[in-house]
Amino acid sequence: MNAPHQAGAGARIVTCENIERSFGGLRALKGVGLHVDEGEIFGLVGPNGSGKTTMVNVMTGFYPPDAGTVTLFGQDVTAVKPHRIAEMGVARTFQNLALFRGMSVLDNILLGRHTHMRPSALGSLFYWLWAQKEELANRRVVEEIIEFMQLEDIRDEPVEVIPIGLQKRVELARALAAEPRFLILDEPMAGMNQEEKEYIARFILDARDERGATILIIEHHMDVVTAICDRVIVLSYGEIIAEGEPREAIADPKVVKAYLGERAAKRHAGVAA
Amino acid sequence: MFYRRAGIRHTRYQDERQLWPLPFDRRLAILIFLLALAAPFIVDRLYLVSYLLPWIIWSTAALGLNFLMGGAGQIHLGYGAVMAIGAYCSVHMVRAGVPFEIAMIAGGLLSAAVGMIFGAAALRVKGLYLAMATLAMQYIVDFVIIQFPAISGGTQATIQVPRVSFLGVPIVGDRPTYYVALFVCVVVTLFMLNVRRSSFGRALAAVREKDYAAAVIGVNTFRYKLLAFWVSSFIGGVVGSVLAVCYYRAISPDQFHLDLSISLVAMVIVGGLGSVLGSFFGAALILFAPILLNQFVGFLSSEFGLAITSDLRSHLPLMLYGAMIVGFLLWEPLGLAKIYANMRNYFLVWPFRHARQ
Repeated sequence: MNAPHQAGAGARIVTCENIERSFGGLRALKGVGLHVDEGEIFGLVGPNGSGKTTMVNVMTGFYPPDAGTVTLFGQDVTAVKPHRIAEMGVARTFQNLALFRGMSVLDNILLGRHTHMRPSALGSLFYWLWAQKEELANRRVVEEIIEFMQLEDIRDEPVEVIPIGLQKRVELARALAAEPRFLILDEPMAGMNQEEKEYIARFILDARDERGATILIIEHHMDVVTAICDRVIVLSYGEIIAEGEPREAIADPKVVKAYLGERAAKRHAGVAA
Repeated sequence: MFYRRAGIRHTRYQDERQLWPLPFDRRLAILIFLLALAAPFIVDRLYLVSYLLPWIIWSTAALGLNFLMGGAGQIHLGYGAVMAIGAYCSVHMVRAGVPFEIAMIAGGLLSAAVGMIFGAAALRVKGLYLAMATLAMQYIVDFVIIQFPAISGGTQATIQVPRVSFLGVPIVGDRPTYYVALFVCVVVTLFMLNVRRSSFGRALAAVREKDYAAAVIGVNTFRYKLLAFWVSSFIGGVVGSVLAVCYYRAISPDQFHLDLSISLVAMVIVGGLGSVLGSFFGAALILFAPILLNQFVGFLSSEFGLAITSDLRSHLPLMLYGAMIVGFLLWEPLGLAKIYANMRNYFLVWPFRHARQ
């Protein structure tokens, strides 16, 4: 890595305090608090159903929390709508792809520029006078990202026909097109092989170092987490069970127990000792 | 063949993003536009007034509805009512002495305002429920127009449209009327074509495909759904006033009943959802298929001496017409526009079929 970088060196990007969120009788988040600092790659890990995605949905305005506050770039955004949060410079990808079918890869990535454009019906009617200049300027930005993500040869394909690994990359490109200050990635490497994982890991590191994005990543591949994250939080049943430097947090007995169960945790402790 | 793509290289983004990037398509579009301009001088008066003029007006209406149904993915079963509001508003204004250009825009604005109120239902309901909400609009507007003599002039009344002028040219006779309709049609067509390559159209498509994903990239789904209804209803209102002034010349409530809304929905679906070209194809098919089928059945009965009773003769075209729509939904749900696209794609690489992607 070229850029000198230290965890926790920059300003606060997001602070969540005592977030509570229930679905019916299920308490998905039980008073979770976390913060992400500028320039960090922050990992959010935990077994399935531990509340990672819920946490991200609370941060991006999809689920207003039952209790607790979310502060983004120093502003309280606790019950703010998702599109407002996007306008503040937050982009995210989804665990299950959320690309727009029937549109080309290029149009999907161009949609990522939405917050930088001024769409209007009259602008469309008088395209040559009002919209063309803006379209072309944003096209240039998008082409840069297409080059960065190495998507040149599929830019005109409809998104639904390209392989899933590339679709994930297109979704990441769409998020990067917004030039976000804070980028949230929900399992960007799910279902990928080793080579594809390495590609994405490289893109994530470059997104921080070259494009200045602070990144929160939810990921199950522990090799990736330990390799690229500066700091992690481990969730289990809606509670934080460990946090800190990735290698240490993951080796925490409570984390091993949450993932592998009581007996395996004991055996693991025995091996470690 | 004609549609050669090989050797065409765009070196600038605006060349690639132009309306018709292939020279053949561009020339075809220009040729059709020139033919449409020259039509009053080369086409017989009967054909101009009873075929070409309604086709242009109904195509424009289908484009407006297609903006909502294909572009933004919201169904509307009350588009006839939207057109009625524009028609009545502008006709009353014209009778009060307001210039037609202003009355047309005002009709559009009133339609847009009313359409948006009913469109607000779309923020809460989807699919079938939205269909019911818009159907309710059709009946409520019909009811209001009929029950208020100030609007309709009475239950059975027709309101005459006085002579008007458009941009200083008096609209009398066939040619000026045709050109006014063509002008509105060209403006709406250009708008629809440009929408698809601008950020506005992409945002609408995003809301149509996945509203949560649209929100996460900063699209205000609430605003865009309402905007879709606003723009579509505005076009509907303007077309309604063109229909009243240029075609009917006297309006009565029964011209804008549910059957108009249904036939517009049929035009959009048969033509192809979201397709500009499809709206023209769909309007042509829905308007002229019954006439052609009627002549065909008449031909059969007279030439081959088939014993077709007059009852059957009047109903057979309707049955065939219904069967045709069902057939489209079964075999080519993307409509006539898709059939055209298939043919075009075939010729794009002909005779090297293996090169097709």
